[in-house]
Amino acid sequence: MTATTQPVTPPTSTGTAARAVDASKVYGQGEAEVRALDHISVDFARGQYTAIMGPSGSGKSTLLHCLAGLDRLTSGQVVLGDLDITQLHEKELTRVRRDRLGFIFQTFNLIPTLTALENITLPMALAGRDPDQEWLERVIDIVGLRPRLKHRPSELSGGQQQRVAVARALASRPEIVFADEPTGNVDSKAGAEILSFMSQVVRDFGQTIVMVTHDPVAAGYAGRVVFLADGTIVDDLTAPTADSVLDRMRKLGG
Amino acid sequence: MWKVAIKGILAKKFRVVLTSVAIVLGVAFMAGTLVLSDTITRTFDTLAVQVNTGLSATVRAKSAFKAQGQDQRNWIDASLLDTVKQVKGVQAASLDVAGQAFIIGKDGKSITKTTGAPGLAFAWDPNATLRAVHLVAGGAPTQANDVVIDKHSADKGHYVVGDQVRISANATNGGSDLYRLTGIVKFGSVDSPLGATLTFFTQDTAQRVLTAPGKVTSIDVAASPGTDQTVLVSRLRAALAGQPGIEVISGQAAVKEQQDQFQTFLGFIKKFLLVFAIIALLVGSFVIYNTFSITIAQRTREMALLRAIGAARRQLLASVFLEALVTGIVASVIGLGGGVLLAAGLKALLGGLGFDIPAGGTVVTVGTILTAGLTGVVVTVAASLFPALRASRVPPIAAIRDVAIESTKLSRRRLIVGLVITALGVFSLLRGLFGGGGQTGLKIALGALLVFVGVAVLGPVFARPAARLIGAPLPRLKGVTGNLARENAMRNPKRTASTAAALMIGVGLVGFVTIFASSATASVNSAIDQSMKADYIVNVQGFNTTLPPRIETEIAAVPGVERAVGLRIGPIKIGGSVEPQVQATDLTIVDQLFDLQVKQGSLGKMGPTGLAIDKKVAKSRHWKIGSQVPMQFALTGRTTFTVEAIYSQPAFGSYVISLPAYQKNFATQADTSVFVKLKPGVDALAVRPSIEKVMKNYPQGDLQNRAEFKAAQAKQITQLLNLIYALLLMAIIIAVFGIGVTLALSIFERTREIGLLRAVGMSRSQVRSTVRWESVIIALFGTLLGLIIGIFFGWALVKALASEGLNVLSLPPGRLIVLVILGAIVGILAAWWPARRAAKLDILDAIATE
Repeated sequence: MTATTQPVTPPTSTGTAARAVDASKVYGQGEAEVRALDHISVDFARGQYTAIMGPSGSGKSTLLHCLAGLDRLTSGQVVLGDLDITQLHEKELTRVRRDRLGFIFQTFNLIPTLTALENITLPMALAGRDPDQEWLERVIDIVGLRPRLKHRPSELSGGQQQRVAVARALASRPEIVFADEPTGNVDSKAGAEILSFMSQVVRDFGQTIVMVTHDPVAAGYAGRVVFLADGTIVDDLTAPTADSVLDRMRKLGG
Repeated sequence: MWKVAIKGILAKKFRVVLTSVAIVLGVAFMAGTLVLSDTITRTFDTLAVQVNTGLSATVRAKSAFKAQGQDQRNWIDASLLDTVKQVKGVQAASLDVAGQAFIIGKDGKSITKTTGAPGLAFAWDPNATLRAVHLVAGGAPTQANDVVIDKHSADKGHYVVGDQVRISANATNGGSDLYRLTGIVKFGSVDSPLGATLTFFTQDTAQRVLTAPGKVTSIDVAASPGTDQTVLVSRLRAALAGQPGIEVISGQAAVKEQQDQFQTFLGFIKKFLLVFAIIALLVGSFVIYNTFSITIAQRTREMALLRAIGAARRQLLASVFLEALVTGIVASVIGLGGGVLLAAGLKALLGGLGFDIPAGGTVVTVGTILTAGLTGVVVTVAASLFPALRASRVPPIAAIRDVAIESTKLSRRRLIVGLVITALGVFSLLRGLFGGGGQTGLKIALGALLVFVGVAVLGPVFARPAARLIGAPLPRLKGVTGNLARENAMRNPKRTASTAAALMIGVGLVGFVTIFASSATASVNSAIDQSMKADYIVNVQGFNTTLPPRIETEIAAVPGVERAVGLRIGPIKIGGSVEPQVQATDLTIVDQLFDLQVKQGSLGKMGPTGLAIDKKVAKSRHWKIGSQVPMQFALTGRTTFTVEAIYSQPAFGSYVISLPAYQKNFATQADTSVFVKLKPGVDALAVRPSIEKVMKNYPQGDLQNRAEFKAAQAKQITQLLNLIYALLLMAIIIAVFGIGVTLALSIFERTREIGLLRAVGMSRSQVRSTVRWESVIIALFGTLLGLIIGIFFGWALVKALASEGLNVLSLPPGRLIVLVILGAIVGILAAWWPARRAAKLDILDAIATE
């Protein structure tokens, strides 16, 4: 395929990028039953930067995994754009992840045998697609990786590795980027850099991002914060700041 | 500490089983060989006792000398029977005449195999007590053209008593004639011994077609009741004291001798098979070494933790050894069981070679259990030595520090040690091949082993560049999966190299025998092209068989045939130690049939004590025209021959005498081939059917033109080659397991990586493809290393045997390419299971691992 035929997501801020409808995830059976998600319904708007927060075991990671097609719901639906991924087969799910989603994990984001550049273009390489060169250059500049492109992950610092992960998540211009504690494993300076790159692409290019975090500072970069506890949504905050998030967390905790 | 080790093993049952497979197969191979040979030996020993129950003593000629391990005995005079019969205590005595004959079926096809078990022929023994066989139908042969055959042959040829049977006897006055079947016999409890056919003539006919009138092979004696064998033997010796060259042995000694002869024969097969079992175990030891290295590397933290909480290095060492010991014992026990099953398979393999092994109880001796079992355990423990030492050197700090899982640094020491071992191996190999002096086989085997080990040690040094090179086309062909496969193959050179090394051994040997066989075929072809001038050749079929000279007369009688000249080969002794064979043919016409490339002298003018020798013999013995050569024959003793001609055709053996000289000095006059020369202007194709008609009665020989003669020689080599391929298969299978286990362990290490790849969009088939291509790179690396070694071995052996007529080094490109392709297929096969496992990894488990 060539660059001209690749699906291009318009940078629009209307409509829903992802939606969970009456989503439940149950582990175990009988006595040992654990409801990680309990009939959750939530929409994520296009072009919005949403943080999902909540204490350990609140189901925030499970929600992210199910939204991203990494895990399957016990009941309910997940719709990405207008595609219901709930019933998709493994092969189709893989293609959805590859072509429409971007990922940033907390640790181990990169393939150690590939260079930074190869890691960034990995999803497109897997699809057998050429990257949009212009966009790629831009992403590389945004995360400031140009001098490090030929390096392997082992030759990069933790912060640099996470920036490569951010670049990879953005490089294929996915409909949604899912980030799971992207700053959990780097120092605060590097974390701040990564978070500002992310909000920059939301602001400048209308990128949709859904991020799980337990860090109020990180959540403060988002346009909206969804609070989870015991598998249900307990609060929803628009235009948060680190302080308002902290405030809300204290209330929920108390 | 023991508890930790045992729990460790139990926790990793799966891995222990995988590791064991390599040893299981090797031990099974070894045990199978031992079980099979023990079983056959016992069957034969029982048979030998059964058929000789009535034999108290045997009178025969003393052995003149041994040639090719066989005693050369003359016939004795039948007239001695009277003397023997008069000895006190002799109840019965019979003339024993033994030779070879082919039984031909009603359809004109030979019932006696042309390869494998022979067609044995005897004089019918009128004394039932001394007879090795018993009649199951009909009666004894009484007329000159009466015959008795074994039940197996009768059944196979649908012969019943009263039928006319065509029998072709091998010896001087033998030939193909019709006989009347008067009886059918069984040999002990079996229809025929090991698939050999049995023919019994009357005494007179037997002497005529198998020995010579008045001459017998031996005289068999049965003692009267109450006469001891030893007493009888000493009385016989006393009675025959005046007869020069006669010896008497007891019945027990005769049985023992037969058993020993069979043991010797079987010993060759056993040793041959054991060599391949040892190769399989060697490959297995590489796999074990590799598996232990990887698993210990993966357990570095665990080891360090144990060290940190106070385990001594010795204890760690012991715990790894214990794991190896348990693995070895489990594998050996399973292998022993498998060996019993495998014995049946090997039996079938021998059956395919023409040796029917009678059914009998499977014999599993304590010796087999100890030999195969202990070998398995020792190999396993020895292979774990280095990994265990490495484990014991883990510093306690590794428990808390994030140390590299496996050192990938390549030391200069490795390079030096590898080079030294390889050089020693090459040296030992070349000394064995070219150096002369004893223990050639040992030097070659040791050399080959050291070369394999040396290259295996060196492997990691060039594993990375080699994998890069082999995988070079992959990124273009397979995109990112190809790139990942290549990078994965390159990331741990030690692992890649030692995995490949297991395959290298099998491929090296396959490559070596392929090149050797190809060179041998090419050399034989070129020798035939250079030397064969006859229009046709009758080529003897089967081992130890001969063509009765009557074939010459019958072919010569065919219209259009000018001459049919036989070539005779017999054992001689020259000086003390050598046991060469001498060849004889009609030297007045040999130039027209076979180009000996005479350099000095003239073959046609050679007299009754004239000798022609090969150039290289002349050189090594410092003989020239006129040299006196003392030759010893079984029949006539020592005679001095004079070198009268020197030739340089290596395809013709080293010593040639004239036909009259051969006739004078050898008892049996029979050919190993017959050269046919047609009259000038005769169309060879037109004469052929008439000659074929003669040959139809002689399954001993096959009529061939030059092309067919070459093809027949090539076929023999190919058959042996295929057998060796089949036996090396075990080593290859073990290597496939080795690659599979390594990949599985590597995948276990890369769980998170694979999870990440799957998360960002790698499909399952792409995961499988990545593993598969990594496997192919490793397999091709092993294949190429093996090929290089195989080519070197082949070259060395061909050079070493140049003086034996192996003068063409042939590297068959087609077959070598096929070998490389097979190497790639090995990679795909080995990856099958690990690739599936990798593709099935749960993404969430993989990315959530912390």
